[in-house]
Amino acid sequence: MTTKEIHTSSFRDPSGAIFIDEGQVKRVINPIYFKQYNALKSTGFFNKLFKSGLLIKHEELSVSESEIIIQPEQIPFITYPYEWSFNQYKEAALLTLKLQKFALENNYILKDATAFNVTFHKGKAVFIDTLSFDFYIENTPWRAYKQFITHFLGPLLLAHYHGAQSLKLMSNFIDGIPVKMLSTMLPFKTKLNPFLYSNVHLLAKFEDKHNEDYKGEAKTSSLSKKGQLNIIESLYDFIKKLQLKEYSEWGEYYDKTNYSNDAFLQKSKIINNWITNLKAKTVIDIGGNDGTFVRKIESSLDQALVCDIDNNAVDYNYKQVKQNKEQFMTPFVLDVLNPSGAIGFNNKERFSFVKRIKEFSPDASLALAVIHHMTLSGNITFDMSASFFASFSKYLIIEFPKREDSWVERLLKTKGEFKAHFDFYNLNNFIESYTKYFDIEEQIEIEDSKRTLFLLKVKHD
Amino acid sequence: MYFLYFDPGLGAMLIQAVVAAVAAIVLFSKNLMFKIKSFLGLIKDNDQDLFDDIDVDDSEIEKNTKSDN
Repeated sequence: MTTKEIHTSSFRDPSGAIFIDEGQVKRVINPIYFKQYNALKSTGFFNKLFKSGLLIKHEELSVSESEIIIQPEQIPFITYPYEWSFNQYKEAALLTLKLQKFALENNYILKDATAFNVTFHKGKAVFIDTLSFDFYIENTPWRAYKQFITHFLGPLLLAHYHGAQSLKLMSNFIDGIPVKMLSTMLPFKTKLNPFLYSNVHLLAKFEDKHNEDYKGEAKTSSLSKKGQLNIIESLYDFIKKLQLKEYSEWGEYYDKTNYSNDAFLQKSKIINNWITNLKAKTVIDIGGNDGTFVRKIESSLDQALVCDIDNNAVDYNYKQVKQNKEQFMTPFVLDVLNPSGAIGFNNKERFSFVKRIKEFSPDASLALAVIHHMTLSGNITFDMSASFFASFSKYLIIEFPKREDSWVERLLKTKGEFKAHFDFYNLNNFIESYTKYFDIEEQIEIEDSKRTLFLLKVKHD
Repeated sequence: MYFLYFDPGLGAMLIQAVVAAVAAIVLFSKNLMFKIKSFLGLIKDNDQDLFDDIDVDDSEIEKNTKSDN
């Protein structure tokens, strides 16, 4: 048995486990899975999936009688299903089906279909659970079928009928949306659709009927390979066509902001200069919308995380990433007032945003046009936001809209009589709080606007 | 033998025969519609598709193999 420090999320599958060794993610494979691993390797199955980019690449480090160690390509920042935009979620679902079909054709199966087996790397979805493949046994149904419905089809249907925010439900249901609940949440008309009726409503009924049957009769059910391929293909067709109802073309956002063209150009120029001079290779843009300002950075970045609360903006960004084949950008959905928490057993299976971003520790953070929302809508004090931003990266580029800015004025107006509470919202108080945590490297007024850009450097303790 | 480290759901295992039958009908009618539409010249090339087909593209694998070497 291994004495390695096993990753706290890696305990479900006895085939092997993830561990961290000198900062590198590695995977130990147990003897119980040797047969599968060797077959997948020797038949070239792994290699084909590496070449097609569907499965994260790995190399074999050591082989002994008691364990095989492999090292997968390292992914700098893992995003979770509840942080994906609608089309990212769709891509992850389609990737899973694609893998299951390819596996079946080669006489393997995906033995599980959790959404956490997928993440985004180099501009696309990639499958990261190398040990999820097993041998296909003739005429057996897909035992990960229900998991696929609860992890993928369910959340996507809820997003279609109730809006993209439904995707966040996954942060409460680590093993997917319960089928019974899913069935009750869908509109009646879905019962008239044979595909949805069989995959959701009838499934919920069957599950309900058989949930107290412990005789293990599951083994006796049979399904031909052709039948299973039909299920996989019809799921693929349906999900590929699924759209958001609320979906509207993004992209007019920057026309709506109170920036003149000159101010916009000046702002992106300043940011570009600062990032270039800092020689920053990794950045996070919090409230980064569709990634516009990160795309204006001319120096080459290794990894840019761009998060926003708006699923549509993230989706629009993601479409650009795909169309431009950008590998350095990872868009994801994040509400900075309520970032993703740690979930799962002992709260250690999926890590909080704060933990992940501290580990990622970007060279620079961008917080453009976000402080007034945090302060005035979220009641976050300057001290609180300064300490938050200072906790994960050395440099912060932050934009401060003054009281005279029309957005700020609008936010203040909504406060009514409570407005006096926000009298502290001014440049001097901002500087006073932020200089407790940061030194001001540069401060530039953006012409033709009521906004100031700061380049701040975290103070040494 | 599979390691049943999660519950596949007995109902979910049994129902797949029904789901597969429905899927077969759906796919059959879809293919039929496709043939009718292409016969009538109603199929438009959709270049806007964000996602490709379910099949792992062999030519893609070949191409990448060559560029790797």
